[in-house]
Amino acid sequence: MSSKVSNNDYEIVVGLEVHAELNTVTKAYCSCKNSFGLEVNSQICPICTALPGALPTLNEKVVEYAIKMGHALNCKINNVTKQDRKNYFYPDLPKAYQISQFDIPLCEHGYLDVLLDDGEEKRIGVTRIHIEEDAGKLLHDEAFSGSLVDFNRSSVPLIEIVSEPDIRSSKEAKAYLETIKSILKYLNISDAKMQEGSIRCDVNVSVRKKRQKEFGTRCEMKNVNSFSAAMRAIDYEANRQIEVIENGGVINQETRRWDDVKGISIAMRSKEDAQDYRYFPEPDLGTIVVDKTFIQKLKDEIPELPHIKQKRYIKELGIPQVDAALLVENLDKSRLFDECMDIGGCSAKNVSNWILGDVSKVMNDLNKSIYDTNVTAEKLVEIITLIEKGEISTSAGKTVFEEILSSDKAVSQIVDEKGLKQISDSGVIEQIVKDVLSENEKSINDYKNGKTNALGFLVGQCMKRSKGKANPALAKELILKYIEQ
Amino acid sequence: MELYKKPAYLLSEMIKKKECSAVEITQSFFNRIGNIDEKIGAYITLNNEGALKAAKVVDEKIAKGEAVSPIAGVPIGIKDNISTKGLLTTCASKMLYNYVPPFNATVMEKLISNDSVILGKLNMDEFAMGSSTESSYFKLTRNPHNLDKVPGGSSGGSAASVAAGECAFALGTDTGGSIRMPAAYCGVVGLKPTYGTVSRYGVVAFASSFDQVGPIARNVKDIALLYNAICGYDKLEATSVKKSYPDFTKGISGNVKGLRIGIPAEYFGKGVDSEVKEKVLSMVKELEKQGAKVIEINLPSTEYALSAYYIISSAEASSNLARFDGVRYGYRAKEYDNLIDMYEKTRDEGFGDEVKRRIMLGTFVLSSGYFDAYYKKAKVVAQNITKEFNHAFEECDVIATPTTPVTAFNIGENINDPVKMCAGDICTVPINIAGLPAISVPCGTICKMPVGIQFIANKFNENILLNTARAVELINGEAEVCEISGQEGK
Amino acid sequence: MDINVKHLAKLSMLKMDEKQLEKFEKDMQDIVKMVQKLPKIQGDLISLDPENPMILREDKLSEKPFTRAEILSNAPEEIAGCIVVPKTLES
Ligand SMILES: [Mg+2]
Ligand SMILES: [Zn+2]
Repeated sequence: MSSKVSNNDYEIVVGLEVHAELNTVTKAYCSCKNSFGLEVNSQICPICTALPGALPTLNEKVVEYAIKMGHALNCKINNVTKQDRKNYFYPDLPKAYQISQFDIPLCEHGYLDVLLDDGEEKRIGVTRIHIEEDAGKLLHDEAFSGSLVDFNRSSVPLIEIVSEPDIRSSKEAKAYLETIKSILKYLNISDAKMQEGSIRCDVNVSVRKKRQKEFGTRCEMKNVNSFSAAMRAIDYEANRQIEVIENGGVINQETRRWDDVKGISIAMRSKEDAQDYRYFPEPDLGTIVVDKTFIQKLKDEIPELPHIKQKRYIKELGIPQVDAALLVENLDKSRLFDECMDIGGCSAKNVSNWILGDVSKVMNDLNKSIYDTNVTAEKLVEIITLIEKGEISTSAGKTVFEEILSSDKAVSQIVDEKGLKQISDSGVIEQIVKDVLSENEKSINDYKNGKTNALGFLVGQCMKRSKGKANPALAKELILKYIEQ
Repeated sequence: MELYKKPAYLLSEMIKKKECSAVEITQSFFNRIGNIDEKIGAYITLNNEGALKAAKVVDEKIAKGEAVSPIAGVPIGIKDNISTKGLLTTCASKMLYNYVPPFNATVMEKLISNDSVILGKLNMDEFAMGSSTESSYFKLTRNPHNLDKVPGGSSGGSAASVAAGECAFALGTDTGGSIRMPAAYCGVVGLKPTYGTVSRYGVVAFASSFDQVGPIARNVKDIALLYNAICGYDKLEATSVKKSYPDFTKGISGNVKGLRIGIPAEYFGKGVDSEVKEKVLSMVKELEKQGAKVIEINLPSTEYALSAYYIISSAEASSNLARFDGVRYGYRAKEYDNLIDMYEKTRDEGFGDEVKRRIMLGTFVLSSGYFDAYYKKAKVVAQNITKEFNHAFEECDVIATPTTPVTAFNIGENINDPVKMCAGDICTVPINIAGLPAISVPCGTICKMPVGIQFIANKFNENILLNTARAVELINGEAEVCEISGQEGK
Repeated sequence: MDINVKHLAKLSMLKMDEKQLEKFEKDMQDIVKMVQKLPKIQGDLISLDPENPMILREDKLSEKPFTRAEILSNAPEEIAGCIVVPKTLES
């Protein structure tokens, strides 16, 4: 192969199709349980295994959840729509057609503003969101010559979110995917667990010379099983296409399979033998009509979404982008943060540091939500405020926090009981400083001779003498005052 | 008179009055089946044990003085495309030669809760595709009026068994005339209800937009009894209509005074046998004498109905029958090299030619490049047909037409000519396209072969149809059980 | 009328030998000729019927769930609670 081609001459164009399983109680078209990881074929019925004569009925929550996602992605909601059949044979597809939507998706013409790592915001168009059903699962075993079919996942509801080809790099793709995932979780409509396959994506990649108007021929990549795999697949595929073009070749429109272990994509089928899905309106289902006031009600119920929240944290509260991302990534953390901000009285930055620091550590260590402990926003704010006011030290604050995790005592009670209150009475500290200085003349001279760390030693001595309760900032201030007199 | 010869409404009364037991009735029918079904070929599967058990339950209830349904204990035959839990349901196809459903169709649940006695499963055209019951994988069914003739189709087993006294009444399904046509050929009454009134859940789909289950019986009262039991909203079917229904046994006096009968010229054109025309029109004259008003109407899109019907029904069938792939149930080819080979061999060996033709036609009209010219255009035609009917029902209450252009033809006569075979559906398919109810009732014979008159009404006006059909029945008399030559009086 | 019967058979998952193809070629020609009889109308296809909205199902578990044994009772080949098929291509 030729040496690395200069990618700078090319622009990468990416479109993504994200499939997300909805976390409804029952499946999309039957009343079987929608649940991951249960015993094979334990959640099946005549409908989701396509026994002769079985008919589908549409779960109302599927429509509701899809509309919520439509609102979140600024879509137009088609309140009158229908379903269509997509016909193809495969053993995991019992009816030999997937109930999907063809020409009238439930949601369309939306967009999503994603925040990139460099702080820039990028708008990515959302072509459509439609509802459809998942297929069953094929199990393979090397020792066995056939494949096994498990229909538990058959007819589990999916939304397919199709983006415009607005994505220009693997990093943008990752930002888009992560934002979609966090929105799904905020709306509580999907578990969005890549490892359980509840969110999956197909990647469409093409390249074109910079300043070229028309798009290049695209290739679709299947079997992309994680966001980082999506990044790798995009980079690999873009490089492959550039190399083909640079070597005088042409790109064939085809479906390729991403092999993440080998880090390569392999052609699966060309456009010529593309499947003819023979879409037509699903005659077993009628017209879906959603009440307009209900659509508005769903819109009104949309919480502040993670990407909007993140922007607010950065712009209005001065939280660094990375920290803001970490806060919104987790529903509990951002909720706790917002509650603290609502109570007010302490700096956003300090609250953020606390939540990303001690609170996160505790949540990780205990492997539970902070809301399953006795910590409340009120108590956290109280601790941070005490620190900010200099009434307790930071380390004392940590001690209090540890204590309130499991006790329902008030913060002030713990401070009192443990004697954590800092001495901020300048009279008391002044006496301590005087005592310390009189016993450490050598250090005073060291300091005067330019050994600045002598000051730290002196502050330390004051703390020791006060049994850790002296306000160190005040002590330092007084030491300097006396030395420089 | 032997019990099997009696109409269902009489059997119902006799059971309640304890003039005979449900078990006796059931045995009488099984005897009849045993005597003549070798000649008729109506049944694919018999439900001897189940039927007698159900009959015993009815007798016990009667003995205890419990109230029972009007159809309790009355033996019924079921077309073999309606799922019966624990009882073979083959669709007369090799593809389902061994399939035993683990669930009941909603209509079966309804019948069972009415203490119906299920005699067995009736022969049909394979997957309900055909007009003669000759495409059954298992056997031929013969017309009880002349054993050399076809019984019509696809519910040929249902109509023949009713005509021959092998059940009191039967369920059929009608996608393009499959209840009305065999009813006409066999000289019995067949009702195709309004689309959405009888649940399709558990009825093996042919064309989802057109399929309807309906009753076949020897008289209108029996039709009403059975229709009462099977109609109604089903939450398992998304196209089921949610509404309440009247008691259809009420108001069928046969009084047609003031009834406006529309006569569409398009249904009496070329292709319709002149004697059939004559029989139908003279029956209309009789009704006119009784006070009905006859109005000439036009349904100009009728000439395109057959095309539209074949395109839409085959398109849906190609998709509906894709699930028969040898994976989960039914026939699977014995030897194959790989997955695709297994699919192809299973479907090649499991389906008969007529089914394959429809699947291929349906695949063709949906395939890329042909969708607009065929499927889409057919749907537009279907819309126009519906509009024309709506318009017609502003002027008339029922429309009268022949049910079929000719009377029953000879076995084997049309089997190699699929186009000629479907020409027989010309009078019935427009009704399925428009989702309307229609009834076929005997109106005389030509060379001893029955002729059917079809009445069509606006949606949910089955009561008008039943009353009009009753008027015909009052003129002609109720159909009686056919004598089968050489088997009677032994 | 050019009808690619071979292609249709492939899409329909029907195995056909040359003899069958020939027969179906003729049948399909006749049938398509019959169904071609459609008017030259340009009406719009109305695939929606908002006057008769579909009743949606409540998201509630079935009260009488089926057992695996019931649903798989007709399976031609079963191992360990799963249906067996020839090895799929994309595995
Ligand atoms: Mg999809
Ligand atoms: Zn299910």
